[in-house]
Amino acid sequence: MGSLPAQEAQEVQWVERAQRGDREAFGLLVECYQRRVMSQVFRLVRRRDEAEDLAQEVFIKAFRAIRSYNFRSPFGAWLSRVAVNHCYDYLRKERASRISYHWQMAEESVRRIEAQAENPQGSRLDPEQQAALRDFVGKLLDRAPAEDRVVLGLKELEGLSVEEIAEILKLNRSTVKVRLHRARKRMLEDLKRWREGR
Amino acid sequence: MRCEEMRRMILEDWPEEGPAAVREHVAGCAECRAYVRDFGVLRVGFRALAAEPVPEPSWGFATRVLRRLEETRDEVSVEFLERAGRRVVYATCVLALTLLLALALPSSGPLRGPTTAELYLAQAEEVTAGSIPIFTGELPSNNGATPVAPQNSGTGKKP
Ligand SMILES: [Zn+2]
Repeated sequence: MGSLPAQEAQEVQWVERAQRGDREAFGLLVECYQRRVMSQVFRLVRRRDEAEDLAQEVFIKAFRAIRSYNFRSPFGAWLSRVAVNHCYDYLRKERASRISYHWQMAEESVRRIEAQAENPQGSRLDPEQQAALRDFVGKLLDRAPAEDRVVLGLKELEGLSVEEIAEILKLNRSTVKVRLHRARKRMLEDLKRWREGR
Repeated sequence: MRCEEMRRMILEDWPEEGPAAVREHVAGCAECRAYVRDFGVLRVGFRALAAEPVPEPSWGFATRVLRRLEETRDEVSVEFLERAGRRVVYATCVLALTLLLALALPSSGPLRGPTTAELYLAQAEEVTAGSIPIFTGELPSNNGATPVAPQNSGTGKKP
């Protein structure tokens, strides 16, 4: 394994070759970044069956746009931007066809989840309850607008900082904070609606 | 601390437990307690989602990307050729139709009006006939009732 600067130099070389239309060099970049792109796409879109197809489309878009990459930010950040934009477009289109869930969760699970939320050090959720909670919050996310899903996905699921999100979305920090605030508020309102309609 | 301020703080910082002021307020406010509890549900839920294993790219992922790139290039070129081909066909049809019409229509007769050139010649004849005086410049200052014809108005007949 080479040192980091050597790897970076190698990457720059591959990008330059890809910019001249060299598909083989682009293939090497795909090999390097496929896991990362796949993970990002899955976390934003949350569709196991579509993640690979979407990740492939991200690379196809990236190849077509690679001449616009100017080496000012790391190639990975540029590629993330392509992926996030692609997911955003997908979510926007998909939301129109998304059905409104009438979701059921067992009273016992709700009670345990709430108890854990109030006291994270308290009783742990069993795997079944964990799965129920994932399903529940996942469905709340599915109902959220694409803009909210992207910003929440990057922050809460990808674990990126406000600065990193600002860099990917080409926004300033305060705008990212406002969007996060709004997205959380909307999700909370949706959770309240679910609770009231239960 | 007011409820509004308290909720704004929670939304912005998404804190695990919150500062002392938050805890104090929550202890005495049932509505904010419900708010904090719901936030807790979301926080725990997001943590559970983040811990979910992500799918791995299947074997041959990069090769498939390159193949798709190749296919889309073919599609693009086929589409281009089709479009260009269609244009050539249209242009040929229009040209053929024009030629056919030019050959088929009689050069004179009720179907055919005068050409631009013929109209121009007819006008020129009229002008040179001198029946219409041609004005050049302003009317003379003497306020003459009759317009002045140019000196060399050509070979037209006298009125
Ligand atoms: Zn309150």
